[in-house]
Amino acid sequence: MSAARQSGAGRAGDPRPRRISNVLALAWREAGLMRHDPTFLAVVFAQPIMMLLLLGFALSNEPANVPLAVLDRSATAASRRLVEEVVATGYFLPPRPVSGYAEGRKLLEGGDAVAFLVIPDDFARDALGGAARVQVLLDGADPLSAARVGGILRSVAAQFDPSGRAVAARREDAPRPARGAFDLRKRFWFNPTLADRDFFLAGIAGMLLTNLCLSVTALGLVAERENGTFEQTLSLPTRPLEIVIGKILPYIGVSYLVLGIATFGSGLLFGIWPAGSWLALLVLTLPFVCASLAIGVLVSALARTSAQAVFITVFFILPSMILSGVLLPYQLMPDGAREVGAILPLRWYQIGLRRIVSRGGGLEEVWLPFLALCAIFAALLLLIRWRLKPRLA
Amino acid sequence: MSARRLLTLLRREVRATLRDPFTVAVLILVPLVALLSFSFVLSTEVEDLSLGVLDASGSYESRRIVAELEADGSFVPRPYATRAELEAALVSGEISAAIVFPPDFQRALLARAPGQPPPEVQLLYDGAETVLAGNAEGFLQGLINAAGAELVGPEAARGGVVVEMRALFNETLDGTPFMVAGTFGFVLSFLTTLITAVAIVNEKIGGTFDQLQLTPATNLEIFLGKLLPLGGMFAFDVVLMMFASGFVLGVWPRGNALFFVAVSSFYVMTSLALGLFFSATSATAAEAVQKTVFASIPLVQLSGFAFPIRNMPMAIQWLTEVLPATHYIRISRAIYLRGAGPLDLLPELGALTVFAVLLVGGSLRSLARRP
Repeated sequence: MSAARQSGAGRAGDPRPRRISNVLALAWREAGLMRHDPTFLAVVFAQPIMMLLLLGFALSNEPANVPLAVLDRSATAASRRLVEEVVATGYFLPPRPVSGYAEGRKLLEGGDAVAFLVIPDDFARDALGGAARVQVLLDGADPLSAARVGGILRSVAAQFDPSGRAVAARREDAPRPARGAFDLRKRFWFNPTLADRDFFLAGIAGMLLTNLCLSVTALGLVAERENGTFEQTLSLPTRPLEIVIGKILPYIGVSYLVLGIATFGSGLLFGIWPAGSWLALLVLTLPFVCASLAIGVLVSALARTSAQAVFITVFFILPSMILSGVLLPYQLMPDGAREVGAILPLRWYQIGLRRIVSRGGGLEEVWLPFLALCAIFAALLLLIRWRLKPRLA
Repeated sequence: MSARRLLTLLRREVRATLRDPFTVAVLILVPLVALLSFSFVLSTEVEDLSLGVLDASGSYESRRIVAELEADGSFVPRPYATRAELEAALVSGEISAAIVFPPDFQRALLARAPGQPPPEVQLLYDGAETVLAGNAEGFLQGLINAAGAELVGPEAARGGVVVEMRALFNETLDGTPFMVAGTFGFVLSFLTTLITAVAIVNEKIGGTFDQLQLTPATNLEIFLGKLLPLGGMFAFDVVLMMFASGFVLGVWPRGNALFFVAVSSFYVMTSLALGLFFSATSATAAEAVQKTVFASIPLVQLSGFAFPIRNMPMAIQWLTEVLPATHYIRISRAIYLRGAGPLDLLPELGALTVFAVLLVGGSLRSLARRP
């Protein structure tokens, strides 16, 4: 309505407001189409809820239910207490006693145990002398779990006091008695229990917006070209850039809606509210959404059919989830991969999101990711201009 | 069922697929790119991590410890003058961990006596990056303890029980073989379903599918005519990925390679049948794609490809069992990493067979609904 009125006003005046009204008219048309598209509505509403539930409840890198085999050759009070202390960490299933070394190895080979603890028969005597040793075999086939489980077992064993009472050693954040040359006081900031949920949910807006912006624009534009409606729009007295901006504008609004669903969802369901500035969150999101939409437009310009658009989009989204650091820390990736990831908008957005949501940062903490996102957006606009020109000549 | 008709259908399908350079490129490039990009993401190593240093003592001992940390290559120390600067750096993510030496560090260290508490050192980690903080913790603690033992002499012996640890199948806990074996599951589940769904919906839109149904070919023949050529191409992909991961990443299957290819080809059929089912129940390409992509979210996150199923709540663990990909990924990891044979994998193979029967039956039924 308002767009139509403004376009009338623009016709009477100079050409500058006319350009704006063209864009607004297109945006209005696009927004009207969106409301009637059930698959689009599913992406906007169902996907955030599904991802919130998956990332909030289901996924975790923290070991749990770890199957443990124990060969207790010592069979003394001390050895039984060591096993009890291992189980008391809460990471393990009830230990499975085995009668021989071969049986334990077989459990590891079949994947029925992740760790195999062997307590030698002179354990109790050596423990009193302060020189006890145990052997642990790990299933290296699952390296990440094996590394974490090995660390847990090592720390339980290091605190084991064979003569005294059991040390309450629950979870990694429990205070530990001083060993070694120093009294190491460690603290995990922003997330004292190292819960994976906080890590995943801090980046969830980035994942959702990437999916939304890329798939909707790339598929939408190609479908219009296939149906011929794109040519119809082209025949209007509008410039190509105006068309693109007009199509993109409503999606910026939808993106903020999805950002709201993600933020309020993780806040209301899991109590994870942004610790920092909401204003910074809103400001940082704008260049990210623009850059993601621009990638979608670029994909649509590169693809000839919807099938091609689908493949390019899907196989752009998947590596960007991996390389950006939104699910796994990018800091640990090898050199080439870290740099490739830096050209992805999602990398910078998730860096900014973690500063705001987890660490309580504000505008001054996110200027670098903000500028990086603006630069990526500008580069994409140049690419689109170059790519759209011959087609629309 | 006529062999001649089937052969004609097969020839048609192979020609149609090979004529489209885009599909051929997808079939070759996507598996290779997936293999290379997934293979290194699981890392238990810490390298060049920024470590904030607030050295209030400014002593020889504290500098020595920092120098040891730097020499190891795991950490890049960055000095900060005040506590406020250090905390700001943690908030902005400039540093992922920090070490703080109190002003009386040197005095406490030199005055160290058997009965006295040892000198305090503070370690701060950025808990917002959970995996990073967990990995860094182990490295930092080990390095500082080693440096400390050198400074104060071996009498700083640890108490407790010494653990001799050894990892079977993968001594160095390298993440590459684990991810390579999982990537087979990812490619064979997702790419196959997507390609089939898109190919058939496109034929439906173009009208060639209706033409096909008007020919004397039976449903089973049409079904096999679609399935066998695509299955053959993906069997080729399995071999391609196996050689690529062997020659480029140095990861070869520990078990029998032929057995692996055979199981994988069998699994491809179940994913293809799923793709047929999606396309048969969708009116437009966009709808088929939407279904495939929606099905792929649990595929990546619940099948054990990226996150261990063991760590999930019990109810969700049950849910993961109804995904065929869960069983296939378990099989491919068992063969690749532990060298398992057919006898070790009977329950998983049985589960895959059940899924294959259900999915092939379902997609045949959905094809049978002629317009």
